[in-house]
Amino acid sequence: MITALELGLIYAIVALGVYLTFRILNFPDLTVDGSFTSGAATAAILIINGVNPFLASGAAFVVGTLAGLITGLLHTKGNINGLLAGILTMIGLYSINLRIMGGANIPLLGEDTTISLLRQIAGSGWTSVMVLVAVALVFKFIIDWFLHTDAGLALQATGDNEQMIRSFAVSTDRMKIIGLMLSNGLVGLAGAVVAQHQGFADIGMGIGLILVGLASVIVGQAIFGTRIVVQATMAVVLGAVIYRLAIQFALNAGLNPNDMKLMSALLVIAALLLPQWKGFRKLAARRRKGRSALQAAAAATLTGDAKIDGKKVS
Amino acid sequence: MLDVTDVSKTFFPGTVNERKALVNVNLSLAPGDFVTVIGSNGAGKSTVLNTVAGRISQDEGVVSLDGRDVSKLKEHQRAAQVGRVFQDPMAGTSPNLTIEENLSLADKRGRPRGLGFGVTRAKRERFAEALKVLELGLENRLKTKVGLLSGGQRQALSLLMATFSQPKVLLLDEHTAALDPQRADLVTRLTKKVVEEQGLTTLMVTHNMAQALEVGNRLIMMHEGRIILDVSEAEKSQLTPADLLAEFAKIKGAALDDKTLLQ
Repeated sequence: MITALELGLIYAIVALGVYLTFRILNFPDLTVDGSFTSGAATAAILIINGVNPFLASGAAFVVGTLAGLITGLLHTKGNINGLLAGILTMIGLYSINLRIMGGANIPLLGEDTTISLLRQIAGSGWTSVMVLVAVALVFKFIIDWFLHTDAGLALQATGDNEQMIRSFAVSTDRMKIIGLMLSNGLVGLAGAVVAQHQGFADIGMGIGLILVGLASVIVGQAIFGTRIVVQATMAVVLGAVIYRLAIQFALNAGLNPNDMKLMSALLVIAALLLPQWKGFRKLAARRRKGRSALQAAAAATLTGDAKIDGKKVS
Repeated sequence: MLDVTDVSKTFFPGTVNERKALVNVNLSLAPGDFVTVIGSNGAGKSTVLNTVAGRISQDEGVVSLDGRDVSKLKEHQRAAQVGRVFQDPMAGTSPNLTIEENLSLADKRGRPRGLGFGVTRAKRERFAEALKVLELGLENRLKTKVGLLSGGQRQALSLLMATFSQPKVLLLDEHTAALDPQRADLVTRLTKKVVEEQGLTTLMVTHNMAQALEVGNRLIMMHEGRIILDVSEAEKSQLTPADLLAEFAKIKGAALDDKTLLQ
């Protein structure tokens, strides 16, 4: 439970990154599969060479932004379809990640890491969870703040109405690149922290990460809503935690860990399809008339936002 | 203020679909000129606007703003000096952002967008003040998402946004065509008002002859990529929509005659 919560809160940073591209820029960015591992690899190699783990994690952020920059340049200057640009960077990064690590795996056991520091200060109980809650919230608030600045509003408008924001003298190419860099920077940083949490960096740790991010964003926003930015980012953070808890629950229930990726994919598919299904809306509407007021409120939010979600992805 | 010199544009050159959208177009607007552009579909009206805005790059010729050649500048670079309102009321605003956020985006035209808050209390007061001019009560709905507004409200807001930071040139692309008559009147009235107040150099494309005669101090008619009629303010006040229609018929007839002769 504690581990699942901790991981969920670390993955919340991934979810915030995916939110920036998938929701704000309307750009499904597959680069994250590669940049997550790049962040982990960079931090791991620096840590075993004696670099301060916080500095190493910062370097992971920078490497992530570079990955985002490449995808951004391919898409905007090279006119390559966004999905393909992400895939190209992701595939290319696989080799680069192997180069960074010098092998497929770097163990971090016995090294000073941000997580080992956390254990020294806060142990491995609820205190450490609270520390990670604070960390996740700090990132949430930074994103909230950024999206309300002049630059952030231009970023939001770029995903919302490109023609319009260009007519107000904003380079949409530049905004997309900035969004992709920021997103992949966060993902790279999260990769670094995950590696330190699990005690190793591995070449395969980023595979399917985009689904984790999407699942967190879609599930969180379906439950908690997206009306305003601060609410949407909160939903994303909570979505990441819920997703991790659901995985933990499935594993405890005896599911084969090898089936987890399939489960993630099915979860995302379900979250995307269910709101479009008429029976689901009827069911939710009937539940709304149900007994407890709390239930009613929960159902109302669920259907209301699920409908919006359905519209946005279709 | 705005000079279009010998501009030509051909779409799909060298194919069966080749279409000459602009043929040696020359157009010069003095500061404060308000020119209405009429012509049938495919006459090149929108292409002129898009060429000035930088959305379409011309094959030949020069576009200059305020004496500066901007032919090589990209759309967003020219947009620092060019305000636009589109035909589609959905096109000019960002639906998922609030009214005040949209205005904040418009307010920053041509200036660097940094990490200061987009909407502050001081700005909000200024935005509310500006919105009062529209007489739509939007000043009381600053935090409403623009996507929830009607087409007419959005188009009025688009107009306000396009002119908010006083661009050198304003381009209006049939911006009242998608509205019901009442809203179209409102937006036309607002257009006249704001152009007069700010002395904006304006190019307005319209399909509505009465509107083309009613507003502006000059009228041009386009046909097959050429400017075929250029009417000054004095002459314009004498014209009626019927005269313009007769002019259209004359050109159409002439074009037909040429074709018949060639066959």
